[in-house]
Amino acid sequence: MKYVILTAVVILCGFIGYLFSRKYKQRSNFFSALILLCQKFDVEINYSRERLKNIFLSLDEKIKKNLSGIDKNYLLYLDKEIELEKSELFKNIGFLKESEKDVIFPFFRTLGRSDVDSQSKEIKNYLTRFESLFSSADAENKKYGTLSIKLGVILGLFLVVIFV
Amino acid sequence: MNLKKMGAVDYYEENIMLKKILPDKIYEILSEKVNFKFINEIRVRAGKPIVLSIGGHRVFLGEKGTTGNIKDAIFASKIMIEDIIFRASECSLYSVNEQIKRGFIVTAGGLRLGLGGDLIEENDKIKTMTNFTSVNIRIPHEIKNCSLSTFDLITKKDGVYNTLVVSPPGAGKTTYLRDFVCQLSERNYAYNVLILDERGELDLGKDNCIGNFSDKISFARKKIGFENGIRSLSPNLIVTDELGQSEDVDAVLYAVNCGVSVLASVHCDSIENLANKPFFEKFIQDKIFKRFVLLSLRNGPGTIEGVYNENFARIRC
Repeated sequence: MKYVILTAVVILCGFIGYLFSRKYKQRSNFFSALILLCQKFDVEINYSRERLKNIFLSLDEKIKKNLSGIDKNYLLYLDKEIELEKSELFKNIGFLKESEKDVIFPFFRTLGRSDVDSQSKEIKNYLTRFESLFSSADAENKKYGTLSIKLGVILGLFLVVIFV
Repeated sequence: MNLKKMGAVDYYEENIMLKKILPDKIYEILSEKVNFKFINEIRVRAGKPIVLSIGGHRVFLGEKGTTGNIKDAIFASKIMIEDIIFRASECSLYSVNEQIKRGFIVTAGGLRLGLGGDLIEENDKIKTMTNFTSVNIRIPHEIKNCSLSTFDLITKKDGVYNTLVVSPPGAGKTTYLRDFVCQLSERNYAYNVLILDERGELDLGKDNCIGNFSDKISFARKKIGFENGIRSLSPNLIVTDELGQSEDVDAVLYAVNCGVSVLASVHCDSIENLANKPFFEKFIQDKIFKRFVLLSLRNGPGTIEGVYNENFARIRC
């Protein structure tokens, strides 16, 4: 029984560490998906003049998942069900910093509001900024993501040592 | 004029589109306090009161419906205008830029938004329009049988006379053309009709609106549309809206020389002034058009003032 409890403590601490690391992973995946979204927009807008709604609806499931619901919130705006406000767009997205939201929000606000040339230039401009955000989020993920799990497990083992 | 008595059709599709593009507050007032099917135009100008055109009369839109008092009117903002245009383009202005360059957007259901703003030119070509300051929402109406009283005058045993529908803006030219095409189909005149819908207004996208014998080319210039259409679709009759440029005249002459009848419309307030319009001398001299239908706003849009022959002699009304 004692060993079972000690194993559970290690697993629990490891899980807590995983939860912390997930935030970094989510951030990294989110910015990666945002970059893919920009690239898709650029292609669709330039070649097929596809409507925004159709572009969002035709996104890969993986991109949709990694966008963590921002696509759904934006679709609600396109359907005139909500106003385009920061609080609505980033609803249920807790892993972004305010400074990052300040970069992403104007991107969604400018979508669909100009001709192909201007829109394409705007998207490329935002793409550069998102790539920079992705680089730092990815570096953070590599640095702190695995570290959180390791620290969790170490904490668990430390508790085991104390109890034993 | 009572459009309902004339057979105005209640259009669900336009209402849905208006709901999509108008601010909720404006839509609610229009749907609850003004009857959509009587509205011809909604004019929204930045910093100015919203004006409705109902049966040829202009009134302000207020919180309680229509009003003649400017103090009770709702004033539009620039943001409101930009949002209407954004919504009308299905939130994708880039997808309708070719239309914007020509000063309008046509939505599903045939709503036409005329745009005012800053035209951006580059290398002598219009690139786009920005900084929108006004929008004129034209709501199309299908008025069943509005062309019926003139139908037998512009059709003959083996076809349709080359006919020009003449009227000032907003007097029902497009509605007349649309109904005439529908009448041809309903009377089983199995002519192949080509509708050259340069601005996307003629076909409202509803069942049988343009009849069962019609083909359609949309958003093409008349010169290209006539040439391609005649080659590929072999029409007996081409129906098109708003002749105005020299190349439109050439396109009509090309069709007539190919043995294809033409039913077209033109902006002009009287038959007398028609001859003074630039590029139209050829039509008059060669008597290309055998019938002229003159419409006016005298008793509201669609008032038929008269039908004239190629010598401008009145043959009815």
